Amino acid sequence: MHIVVCMKQVPRDNSVKINPDLSINADGIEKIMNLFDEYAVEEGIAWNERHGGKLTVLSLGTEEWVEQMRRALAMGATDALLLSDPAFATLDPLAAAKVVAAAIRKLGDVDLIFCGRNSTDDESGAFAPALARSLGWPQLTYVGKVLELDPATKQIRVERHLEAEVETVSAPLPAVVSVIKDINEPRYPALLKIRKVARVEPPVWSAADLGLSDLAPAATLTNRVPPPARPKGELISGPDAASKVKTLVDKLLESQVL
Amino acid sequence: MPGVLVYIEQIDGAVAGISRELLGKGKELAAALDGPLSAVVVGQGVAEVARQAAALGAETVYSVDDPRLARYTTDGYVAAVRAAVDAAQPALILGGSGFQLRDLGAALAADLDAGLVVDATALQVEDGAVSAVRPSHGGNVLNHYRFAAGRPVVALVRKQSFAPAQEGSAGSVQSLSLPEVTIRTEVTSVAPKTGAVNLTDAAIIVTGGRGLGDKESYYRLIPPLAEAVGGAYGASRAIVDAGWVPYEHQVGQTGKTVSPKLYIACGVSGAIQHLAGMRTSRTIVAINKDPEAPIFRVATYGIVGDVQEIVPLLTHELKSRLGR
Ligand SMILES: Cc1cc2nc3c(=O)[nH]c(=O)nc-3n(C[C@H](O)[C@H](O)[C@H](O)COP(=O)(O)OP(=O)(O)OC[C@H]3O[C@@H](n4cnc5c(N)ncnc54)[C@H](O)[C@@H]3O)c2cc1C
Ligand SMILES: Nc1ncnc2c1ncn2[C@@H]1O[C@H](COP(=O)(O)O)[C@@H](O)[C@H]1O
Repeated sequence: MHIVVCMKQVPRDNSVKINPDLSINADGIEKIMNLFDEYAVEEGIAWNERHGGKLTVLSLGTEEWVEQMRRALAMGATDALLLSDPAFATLDPLAAAKVVAAAIRKLGDVDLIFCGRNSTDDESGAFAPALARSLGWPQLTYVGKVLELDPATKQIRVERHLEAEVETVSAPLPAVVSVIKDINEPRYPALLKIRKVARVEPPVWSAADLGLSDLAPAATLTNRVPPPARPKGELISGPDAASKVKTLVDKLLESQVL
Repeated sequence: MPGVLVYIEQIDGAVAGISRELLGKGKELAAALDGPLSAVVVGQGVAEVARQAAALGAETVYSVDDPRLARYTTDGYVAAVRAAVDAAQPALILGGSGFQLRDLGAALAADLDAGLVVDATALQVEDGAVSAVRPSHGGNVLNHYRFAAGRPVVALVRKQSFAPAQEGSAGSVQSLSLPEVTIRTEVTSVAPKTGAVNLTDAAIIVTGGRGLGDKESYYRLIPPLAEAVGGAYGASRAIVDAGWVPYEHQVGQTGKTVSPKLYIACGVSGAIQHLAGMRTSRTIVAINKDPEAPIFRVATYGIVGDVQEIVPLLTHELKSRLGR
């Protein structure tokens, strides 16, 4: 079976700045694999170890992302594919999904796609559903457990972990699955493997390779600003802990917070 | 003129709070678009919810009532909402930002080749075009988008962004049949989550961090304080990863985003990934022994001190003053 994991590189934390042209400036912040994608990669590898075939890690990003793709290879992915083109720089999740869908069609033999529940920078969670619809495949989002993945009957059965309930759902393959943090315990790549993949250069497909042209987003970014500063707070002083606590409760009651 | 279509969510057979907000805001946006406010109710046995939505300001409520819609499935629900979209031809489709709605909204937007904004905190209509604000990067960035007119927009809105609609008007309910659709997923069971905590709905949250020292201290100090203020209890990732508290309780970039009226952080340093999940809380109280802890930079009120001493005093004081 051929499983694809869609993986995004993100800044470790979100103390980003905004460039004058409104692009995001994450200079100086370490780049990591999107946390939820670690779980997606692990899930993909675990099923690949069971059923064999290929496990491709796929990113729509820049050459810089290859570092995280290598991490996925060191974890156990068998293949990597980078979609990169200046035309992809400002895609919204719906357009990004169209591009990835085109790549999946070009690959031709994909049975299952794992994504993360959301990226920790853009945070939309829209990519996986949009990818599924672009491909015309069923989608299973917020999956906390894959109960069954049967290459013979081409069926998948999962638990979707929603806010207050757990649904057990089955779907025919091919399908798109997005995973949450609870699903597994991602492995650390072994040092030996990290060295082995250190020079791997994944193939790169461009917009032209995928036969794509018009990817205009429906929205224009008109402004990007930091959030308004919180009103300055106060440190509560007092002779001892009990009086500080009393003052705090007074203030909470006075301001009708309680 | 094209107007606004609100997707109505249901809780225990009634219109959910988020949908009331959307009907309220939708009315204003529809007026700005010079179009009608309509709503769509999807499910099985939804007549009462449809009636309620009509009383909350929707001029037309499209009801798609079908046994195949008894449970949420992407295929079934997208098809049902599309029937309403075809009937209403809205410029703007509004829904909530819960998991099921994200699953539905993104799929619908992809099918309609519409614009999409997830987690919108502000919406506006200017010269017939929809604009929206959505936070990203853990709330450190507010993105302002303007959508091209002539293409519908799906906007999923963050809870508690707008004032709820009041009952009063009397719109009409129109039944639509579920279009021909192959529902490929099958829901074989639905179980309530054990120990589910609806942090995102809680008005007050008390959160503990590594400063509590150990798991035993967490349970000795945090739930009682939460109980004293009638709140839910949360946790930093550090103590979720340490196995003190289940992931359900985690607040932050990779946990839940919350915006309660009161957030009490006990022994939490206030790492940027934690702040990402709670910085929009109305009032923030921080208790930390380190006066330099970053949590004090967002706190409305701070007490520098030992949680082992302060938290029991605070629980006691609140209990006696609030009479719980
Ligand atoms: C990709 C990524 C995602 C992340 N996502 C999240 C997330 O979703 N949520 C989250 O919370 N974190 C997240 N983190 C982790 C985050 O960076 C911090 O490590 C974490 O929030 C720290 O938790 P803490 O405040 O409980 O612990 P610490 O940072 O160890 O802070 C403990 C605090 O307690 C104080 N203290 C100690 N003893 C006492 C005492 N006796 N009385 C009073 N105060 C005391 C200390 O002064 C200190 O400020 C993420 C990190 C990464 C890299
Ligand atoms: N540019 C991208 N390249 C590869 N995968 C992506 C990309 N953007 C999003 N994804 C996948 O979609 C998931 C959800 O991302 P998002 O919709 O941005 O919140 C991520 O966890 C990835 O699995």
